Amino acid sequence: MSLADQLSSYLGRLWGRPVQVLDLTRIPGGASRETYRFDVDVDGERKGLILRRDPVGSLIDTDRRLEFLAYQSFYGRGVPAPEPVALEMAETELERPFFIMGRIDGGKAASPFTVDPYAAHAATIGEQFFSILGTIAKADPVGLQISEVAEMPEPAACWSKELDYWAKVIETDQLHPQPIVWAAIRKLRRNPPPPAQKISVVHGDYRTGNFLHDGEGKIIAILDWEMAHLGDPMEDLGWAIDPLWGHFDPDKVGGMMPRAEALTLWERVSGLKVDEQALDWWSLFNAVKGQAIWTSSAREYRDSGGKDPVLALSGWYTARRHDKIIADRLASLEGWA
Amino acid sequence: MTPTAAEVLMGNFMALIEPPPQESVGDYMASRISVIGMNSLLASQETEMGAAVRVWENGAISALLSKAGAPLAASTDDLSITALDALNAKLRLALIAVHEAVEAKGDVTLDREILTLYQAMADRRMLVLPVMPGS
Repeated sequence: MSLADQLSSYLGRLWGRPVQVLDLTRIPGGASRETYRFDVDVDGERKGLILRRDPVGSLIDTDRRLEFLAYQSFYGRGVPAPEPVALEMAETELERPFFIMGRIDGGKAASPFTVDPYAAHAATIGEQFFSILGTIAKADPVGLQISEVAEMPEPAACWSKELDYWAKVIETDQLHPQPIVWAAIRKLRRNPPPPAQKISVVHGDYRTGNFLHDGEGKIIAILDWEMAHLGDPMEDLGWAIDPLWGHFDPDKVGGMMPRAEALTLWERVSGLKVDEQALDWWSLFNAVKGQAIWTSSAREYRDSGGKDPVLALSGWYTARRHDKIIADRLASLEGWA
Repeated sequence: MTPTAAEVLMGNFMALIEPPPQESVGDYMASRISVIGMNSLLASQETEMGAAVRVWENGAISALLSKAGAPLAASTDDLSITALDALNAKLRLALIAVHEAVEAKGDVTLDREILTLYQAMADRRMLVLPVMPGS
């Protein structure tokens, strides 16, 4: 039975009505899961949907339930998150767990490896990008669906929970010794940041390329919540402004706007303060986290027989860029033990 | 360092040899081929510089280990990437141990030298994508 037929059967049972799946097409992006776009015809009405299915191999191991609950947490709450439609954990329907969400048409995502992707709309998009991040940071996670499964850390323990996790990923997956990232991990442990001002939902991969914009200056969807968790909101901020996502423009974070303007916007919307000492820590941490993801990519690329070229690009080119970012940051840190 | 250029070029072949399922022939395959093209371009850079970078890095780490009084791994005359990487792995492990000891001892001067070496190592390993305008 084809994937489209399996999907038709599943949705027909779920909704109690005959469903016809049309134009099922795999699309690039969201490298931790297989992503497909398709239409459904139900009682003559057509609707656009997205299927996100667990892959055989992936950049990162993430919990699809957490991702689904993250969409549920923010859909219709001032963040342009797609509508969550269905979550299926069983492997009997489409061979691997998956979820389905509403499709937002008419948008495009920038490749992080292009220059000036937002052109004249860069500042306008930047205003929305950092304001939406402020909205996510401001939200009280208690009562949001994601809190049903996400662990609630103590404010003083956010940093160690995340650093321990990603250091373990590197330790487990590295195929070749990495002195630069291990120096950063030791440096981060010796110089912990202040406790989180509050516990927030952390998107986990909030950056250029993980949102859709309409080409005329409007962000229409925030995507790729597969690493969502609860923690220090500075974590997302540090990731969003990492130089890797700067589109080769050192004067604009995310290729959108000057760093100071972005931080001011985030402060205004979130109601939180940017502590530069904390942001320094979370910035270096995020480069380590990136290197952990790329290390896993390289491991998965080799273990899966080299069939996914995205894993090669991530585990190779991107890993080397993050090594450079970490090495430069380590050399420039002042006042750290 | 992984993956090697040889692994990437082999992977490019593996990624293309199997016919994709019907639902993957459109945008997904176009994107996949574009990434395969980028990987081939980067592999050309790595092929050109890979051995030289490894010889340099192995020498630079050995010099620093020698300065720190650490035992050195046996050098090699074999200039294959496999042999150079095997030596590089031993040297990098020794460098990590030396750096940990330097930090514990509070030797600021040697710590600074190691951090400068890290910058040089990262610089020389960098691969460069051509300017690709956003759409």
